[in-house]
Amino acid sequence: MDPINTAVIVKLEPDFSEGNVSYNPDGTLNRAETKNILGPHSAIATAAAFYAKVKYGAKISIGTMGPPMAESMLQQAQLISDADDLYLYSDRIFAGADTLATAEVLKSGVQKMGKMDIVFSGHRASDGETGQTGPQTAWKLGMTFLGHVIEYEINLENRTVRAKRLVRMQGIYDIVEEIEAPLPVFIAIDPSYKSKFNTVSQRLDYERYQKEAFERAKNFKQYLKVFNAVQIEADPKLIGISGSPTIVYKVERIPKGKATRQAEVIDGANQEDIRKVVARLRQSLSTMVIK
Amino acid sequence: MEKYDVAIIGGGSAGLAALKQLSALGKQVILFEAGNKIGSKNISGGILYSKKPKKGKTYNVEDIFENFLNDAPFERKITKYILHATSKDKVFSIDLTAAHEYEANFGCSVLMNKLNQWFSQQAGEAAQKQGGGIVSGVHVNSIRWEGERTIIQTDELEEIEVKAIIAADGVNSEVAYMTGARQKFSPSELYQGVKVVVKLPEEIINQRFSIEQDDGAAHLFAGDVTLDHIGGGFLYTNRDTLSLGAVYHFDSLLETPVEPYELVNTLLKNPMISEFVKDEVPVRSEIDKDLPKEEQMRIRFAVTKMIKNWSELRDVYYSKKEKERLVREGKYGSAEEIESQLSSLRDQMSTKYNIKFDTDYVEAEYSAKLVPDGKRCRMEKPYFKNILFVGDAAGRGIFVGPRIEGLNVGIDDGARAANAVARALDKGNFANNYLGEYYSQSVEESPYTHDLKAIDKDYLKIFLDAAKDVPKDIISSKYGLVVKMMSSNTLRSFAVGFANILGYEKLLPIIETVDTYVKVPTELAERLGKSISTSYTPTIPSIGQRVAKLNFNDDSVSHIKVLKPTSEFMKNMVTLCPTKCYIMEKEGVMIQHEGCVECGTCSEQTDWKHPRGEKGINYQYG
Repeated sequence: MDPINTAVIVKLEPDFSEGNVSYNPDGTLNRAETKNILGPHSAIATAAAFYAKVKYGAKISIGTMGPPMAESMLQQAQLISDADDLYLYSDRIFAGADTLATAEVLKSGVQKMGKMDIVFSGHRASDGETGQTGPQTAWKLGMTFLGHVIEYEINLENRTVRAKRLVRMQGIYDIVEEIEAPLPVFIAIDPSYKSKFNTVSQRLDYERYQKEAFERAKNFKQYLKVFNAVQIEADPKLIGISGSPTIVYKVERIPKGKATRQAEVIDGANQEDIRKVVARLRQSLSTMVIK
Repeated sequence: MEKYDVAIIGGGSAGLAALKQLSALGKQVILFEAGNKIGSKNISGGILYSKKPKKGKTYNVEDIFENFLNDAPFERKITKYILHATSKDKVFSIDLTAAHEYEANFGCSVLMNKLNQWFSQQAGEAAQKQGGGIVSGVHVNSIRWEGERTIIQTDELEEIEVKAIIAADGVNSEVAYMTGARQKFSPSELYQGVKVVVKLPEEIINQRFSIEQDDGAAHLFAGDVTLDHIGGGFLYTNRDTLSLGAVYHFDSLLETPVEPYELVNTLLKNPMISEFVKDEVPVRSEIDKDLPKEEQMRIRFAVTKMIKNWSELRDVYYSKKEKERLVREGKYGSAEEIESQLSSLRDQMSTKYNIKFDTDYVEAEYSAKLVPDGKRCRMEKPYFKNILFVGDAAGRGIFVGPRIEGLNVGIDDGARAANAVARALDKGNFANNYLGEYYSQSVEESPYTHDLKAIDKDYLKIFLDAAKDVPKDIISSKYGLVVKMMSSNTLRSFAVGFANILGYEKLLPIIETVDTYVKVPTELAERLGKSISTSYTPTIPSIGQRVAKLNFNDDSVSHIKVLKPTSEFMKNMVTLCPTKCYIMEKEGVMIQHEGCVECGTCSEQTDWKHPRGEKGINYQYG
């Protein structure tokens, strides 16, 4: 049986976690001051690829389009996934790309990695929030697209993948759809994805690969390849500004909604105040009817 | 079903020692730990000893983990061991350093979280080489035998088959209960220990306890701080923290119940201890409520950040090694630069945000644990079929007067169990007479077991020499004839010999009494003690604040089921649960398992299990 080759496409994003964001006086993001990290959805996609490594011994290549400093983000991704190869697609010409032009670079980049069985992407980026780049890359690669994936298993013999998708159907949320598809497939991972390792040997492999990942990430440059537009043979007309049909006309701040909630602040320092809180909770609960 | 040679259940120091030893002997071993990572559920007083007994051999920590002395993150080597008798503000001290050093290579203070993680790196690496390893976040829920096969079921993973098991799952060993290998320990066989970790910069510790850079001090307390219970308090110096705790006989607590945290608080309020733990603490000023909301928020964040920076930099300033390291790494130009930065930060804090500096103490972590009294409860035959019990799970802690040892006993057991299992694997024979009995015999030969059965007259002499300044009449009134016999060498030899024939356990009710732990020390302090005064009153956090500071991974399902909500014992739990998980509701008690630290205090009359994998308490210090 041939080993499984997987690729993960990831994105460098501002760190939106508490205390790390910096704003300009006009309320826009101060990109220079805000630290950049591996996007949280990219991290989940990377963890999903690691599942294939632990369970099926898959090979992992991670690719991103970004400035040279994005290499430290690839290091983070390697630490999560014990990636075998890291690819950074970096070129001034890529600047100003919208999702379509980005997908073109990623398509060419993934093709440069070799023949892939599964390509993973995150659900969306936390700065762009479009959720388009993944599906567009899948479309350009001509791969079967599985979105919102919360669980997957690979059949190495038949070379198929069986995936559970968390979907919304006819207005009903949280329906789990199970789908089987022949490899290769493109999987966009749902934010609620969590790898489950349920045998002792998987847990041991997990530990072993994690340790390897730690060692590899220390010398991540050894695994890193940096390519420009020419090297990945991207069509100059389809990338960067010239390949981007989207024009951002204006960005407006979302007006603050008026709060209708009435809050009473109670300092919980003494028993008496806590009693007040409990009484209020009791009161509120008594008016609730459980159907 | 996956098959492995050996499973070790529980990743405390005994289990990890067994893992290291078995792996070193070339065997394939899996270790299951319920916590999300090794060390997260372990706590200890604690001092870890390495011993050189006159007779027999102990497996010491540095025998099992060869790099221990060079590389392990233990805290300090204890070079001072002092017992204090207390009465109000008076303290009478007896230097027991000679007793502490008796038959010892060293005794070092430890914090379990850090140390067990180091053990697990060493043992895990060795295990990996043999195709085994450590699997954390997994809770074993049953073990069954199908013919020759031994099958382990867990809450999280598929079943596995093994040839032998080492049960290292602690004082509340579920393996012991589920197999019926032993009964739950009864209150008379247990101590309850409660501990707080207090932060204090490294060089302040050196100065305050008059110790050198890497040396440490241990202080024990008896007398009125016990609030009339059998047991006492301890204070050990770690590198940049102090471990302060209270350990009492569980039955003595049941007799006159007092909240366990009150026992620690009583220690904290003792002037000698107040002075030991005191530090400089920044106090925030009220934020002006008239300022805009955003500005109030900004100030709150800025103050938090500043205090954090200040306290981190201060830790560096008071640590010679850290200072040297940061200067070497180029983060600071010189040690003077650190000092000037620290003082300018301090100025900024007071001028810009009106932060004041007060004398108080800083508590980092509250924890609790049951401790088995090995004299009374050690398993005579610490095995069941092909399961060998080690450490706390086998009830093997040594508590003889001021002698407090548990970790080293567990490590010794772990090594002995590993050797027995390796031998059985070589022969493919796991029958009782080849594995269990062999291990049992080996444990019986351990000098530690000897110490649990008999009084060592040499140790006793050292102890008595140390206490020679104690006026005879205080003790005579309580122990009369015994004292007379003990003061003469020949008579003492004879008496100890006779006592050992009679049986150590028969003497315990005479030795372990309120007289020994409370009355005599209190009288001593009153008559001979020095008066100590303290300049401040420590601000002691409430139990609610202490629990709120702990790190839990809550389980929606309770791991404890109350069986007898109206029994006397359970009603006592309302007082005796260290984290106040029980409340009275009408006739009986009700449990709120969310703040449970898994000490097992209520285990006797509850259906008590450890939480599922990764759930429950995660200690940061341990």
